[in-house]
Amino acid sequence: MATKINPKFKDELKKYGAVNMSACYNCGTCTAVCSLSSTEESFPREMIRLSALGIENEIKSSLKPWECYYCGECTNSCPQTANPGELMMSLRRWLTSKYDWTGLSSLLYRSFPATIAALILVLAGTLFFACSRDFNLEEMLHYGHRFEIIAISTVFLVIFVPNLLRMWYFTIVKPKVRTPLKRYFSTSGELFVHMFTQKRYKDCEENTHFRWFEHMILVFAYLSLLFTTVFLNWFATYNLFFIILGYVESLLIFAITFDFVGSRIKKSRTLNKFSQPSDWLFVTWLLLMGITAFLVRLFIDLNLTESVRWVYLIHLIVLAQWALIIVPFGKWTHFLYRSFAMYFSQLKTQSKEPVSESAQ
Amino acid sequence: MKERIGVYVCHCGGNISDYVDVEKVCRAVENEDGVVLARTTLFACSDSNQNEMINDIKEHNLDGVIVASCSPKLHLATFRNVTERGELNKYTYVHANIREQASWAHSDDKTGATEKAIHLVKAAIAKSRYAEPLYPYWFEAEKTIAVIGGGIAGMKATASLADKNSNVVLIEKESRLGGHTAEWGSLAMTDEKGYELTERIAGDIRNRENIFILTGAEVISTKGSIGNFEIRIRKKPQKEGDPSEIMVMKIGSIVVATGYDHYSPKDGEYGFGNSDWVITLPEFKKLVDSSTGKILEYKGMRISNVVYIYCVGSRQANGGNSYCSRYCCTSAIHTAIEAKKKFNGIVNIHLNRGIRTYGKQELLYAESLQMGDLYLQFNEESLPKIFVKKQKMVIAVKDILSAGKELEVEADLVVLVTGMVPRSDRSVGSMLKLPKGRDGFYNEVHMKLRPVETVIDGVTIAGTCQGPKNISESVNSALSAATKSYSLISKGTLETEPIIAKIDQENCSWCSKCLNACPFDAISKEAVHNREVAIVNASVCKGCGMCTPVCPVDAIDLTGYSSKEMMSMIDVLV
Repeated sequence: MATKINPKFKDELKKYGAVNMSACYNCGTCTAVCSLSSTEESFPREMIRLSALGIENEIKSSLKPWECYYCGECTNSCPQTANPGELMMSLRRWLTSKYDWTGLSSLLYRSFPATIAALILVLAGTLFFACSRDFNLEEMLHYGHRFEIIAISTVFLVIFVPNLLRMWYFTIVKPKVRTPLKRYFSTSGELFVHMFTQKRYKDCEENTHFRWFEHMILVFAYLSLLFTTVFLNWFATYNLFFIILGYVESLLIFAITFDFVGSRIKKSRTLNKFSQPSDWLFVTWLLLMGITAFLVRLFIDLNLTESVRWVYLIHLIVLAQWALIIVPFGKWTHFLYRSFAMYFSQLKTQSKEPVSESAQ
Repeated sequence: MKERIGVYVCHCGGNISDYVDVEKVCRAVENEDGVVLARTTLFACSDSNQNEMINDIKEHNLDGVIVASCSPKLHLATFRNVTERGELNKYTYVHANIREQASWAHSDDKTGATEKAIHLVKAAIAKSRYAEPLYPYWFEAEKTIAVIGGGIAGMKATASLADKNSNVVLIEKESRLGGHTAEWGSLAMTDEKGYELTERIAGDIRNRENIFILTGAEVISTKGSIGNFEIRIRKKPQKEGDPSEIMVMKIGSIVVATGYDHYSPKDGEYGFGNSDWVITLPEFKKLVDSSTGKILEYKGMRISNVVYIYCVGSRQANGGNSYCSRYCCTSAIHTAIEAKKKFNGIVNIHLNRGIRTYGKQELLYAESLQMGDLYLQFNEESLPKIFVKKQKMVIAVKDILSAGKELEVEADLVVLVTGMVPRSDRSVGSMLKLPKGRDGFYNEVHMKLRPVETVIDGVTIAGTCQGPKNISESVNSALSAATKSYSLISKGTLETEPIIAKIDQENCSWCSKCLNACPFDAISKEAVHNREVAIVNASVCKGCGMCTPVCPVDAIDLTGYSSKEMMSMIDVLV
């Protein structure tokens, strides 16, 4: 069955941030220099070709965009300045919006005004809530904490689970990858290793693993701060250890995201040269989360009762925007999709091998 | 009969001496009759050896010289000149080839190679004994030059010849000058209009006093040879019904610039002829040039998806045209860019076999990529197929840039990127006996060393009659051909080789066998003392020797290769 090409797909990808991809003349230098590409799993050229021809089904079923960690080597070596690295990035954005059943990811990625509108809407909602409680700190803290728990579970159940199932359907079920159930379990370790360590990212850079290290610390700091605020109720706890833990975590988040924002401003790294609104939003809000959480706890500890109220209100606004927009429909999802992609990719590779006895 | 012959056996730095025992060869021939001097040399062609040879000729009073070295193609002329500098007639020089014919051919058998080399040198000595001094022929040459074909190449050749103060006759079959170039609008790279370019050049040559332009005129016969061609031209009458005018002109040299034909796809080739929506690149180019407005329409239908199929009628392995037509990639891409700039909603999809936009034309390829044109690449084993699916024209292609994936492309219009083929009207070539290559285009003598000359002295070729070229390449070759044609006859006198056939008129009884054997039309019948005999036109004869063996009464001898010389060589060799 021949595949129909769609020359207009390129224009669609441009909305997701693809830069100058038309210039590609298929030399394959990008694939040759990529330290993650292999004979079996070869990219980025293959993905560029599929994008140029607009073969959406194959892109949708491909995990390769997630296998790239954007070191920028391909973009630096491209003789046509066709920017393969940024194309892989835009494919990840495109895939994110395809996995998302609500269609909101797609809207937010493509339309900057829609993103602004959503942010303002959440801001207004939070202010309305705070106003209805007369800006009472006790109540705001109470409901803020409750909101966190509800938001996390809702986003997880309503957005992430269906979206991950869709991802599974697109990449495993539809391409008819047959793999026994027990392999889903035996391979699941892979999922968590990649989720928490981004192990593959380490192979991306040639000399220094600094960026991988930075990124990993950020992931740990973020997840543990989340845990500290939600389950250890950081803002209300009297446990000294928990309090210090929270300080350390929020400081780490602030320090690392400060560096990330800085390199996006300076465009010092290849991967930071073409920042999309979604990238800015992600790092900036993470930075704001870190700094406001830190200040809230600091003000509580300094007994600045009057100021805490306002700092907490700002924190709550940032938090609500983060939890309702950026986490479910923005860049946050790459945390899940990347690790699941590595997991699915492992399943795909294994499906090509016969089931061995020792695996039982 | 030579009695004082000098023999030089060359080492060729080891090329010969590694396999042939040159000292042994030298000793084997030094006592031959008539040999007074035999020596070996490291490089016979070196300046020092050449000077030594000149000294030897004078000192030893030599009357014949032999060098046993490489192929005469390489150094015959060199040693003839040495002989001449030694004040001997240069045609008494005899060459023996012991490199290509002995050392290189028999590198596995040193004894045999040496043995063969000795035989070859002895044969050369045998020939040398009878080698006669010969003298080249001189004759007056016409200084007018004819250019046949008034396309871009012919016009530029004409202008260049006129610049050299030569009288030029430009003969164009059509009623207008400009050829194919005048058919085009905007041209690749310069964006000048084709018809404006040709009009500019035509305007220039129309105003020159030493240029005589004949349009609507055809060469109908040619006679003679370099320096003295006589061409007959038929000029179409001004009014219908008038008798056509015949002109006869004396011409010294001819530039042939008869151009090319567009390849016309066979019926059914990629649906050509079966579908109205399959057209050739020249047709599409004219459509783009002539359409106005922001929407491209063809036969009342709006065109957006244009699919180009490359190498139609070019680079075909089996039975077709095997050559690349050079200009088509650039032209197709340029036309695609034009269409996209001029009209709204054009999507260009190029199905190619590797893009050859060489040199600065690469910029056009880059521009078209930037504009979003898609390039799919197929190979000869799986050509694209056209079919109709839900009332839409669809092309199936196996894209080798996508690991051989079978792809389907929708098209509103299919453009067959056709190449160049030789003119179907070959009359000029047949009249002048110009050799054609396997591709059917006229052949030069040597692609690199003599790129515009033909084996017919005085006839040069310019532009696309020689092979596919773009406009600037055509112009380059035209300027080169003009200069070469001019240089052949600019002195007003001509020298030809004395090695030609000679007829013993006493013995000749005119049977016409030699006339039929001659590939150059150098033999004619003439009455001498009331007898019909064959005579040879010295300026046309090339000394090929085709006539000699067919003569039943052995009345023909080839100067420089007389029966006496050849028989004596054979005696030594067998």
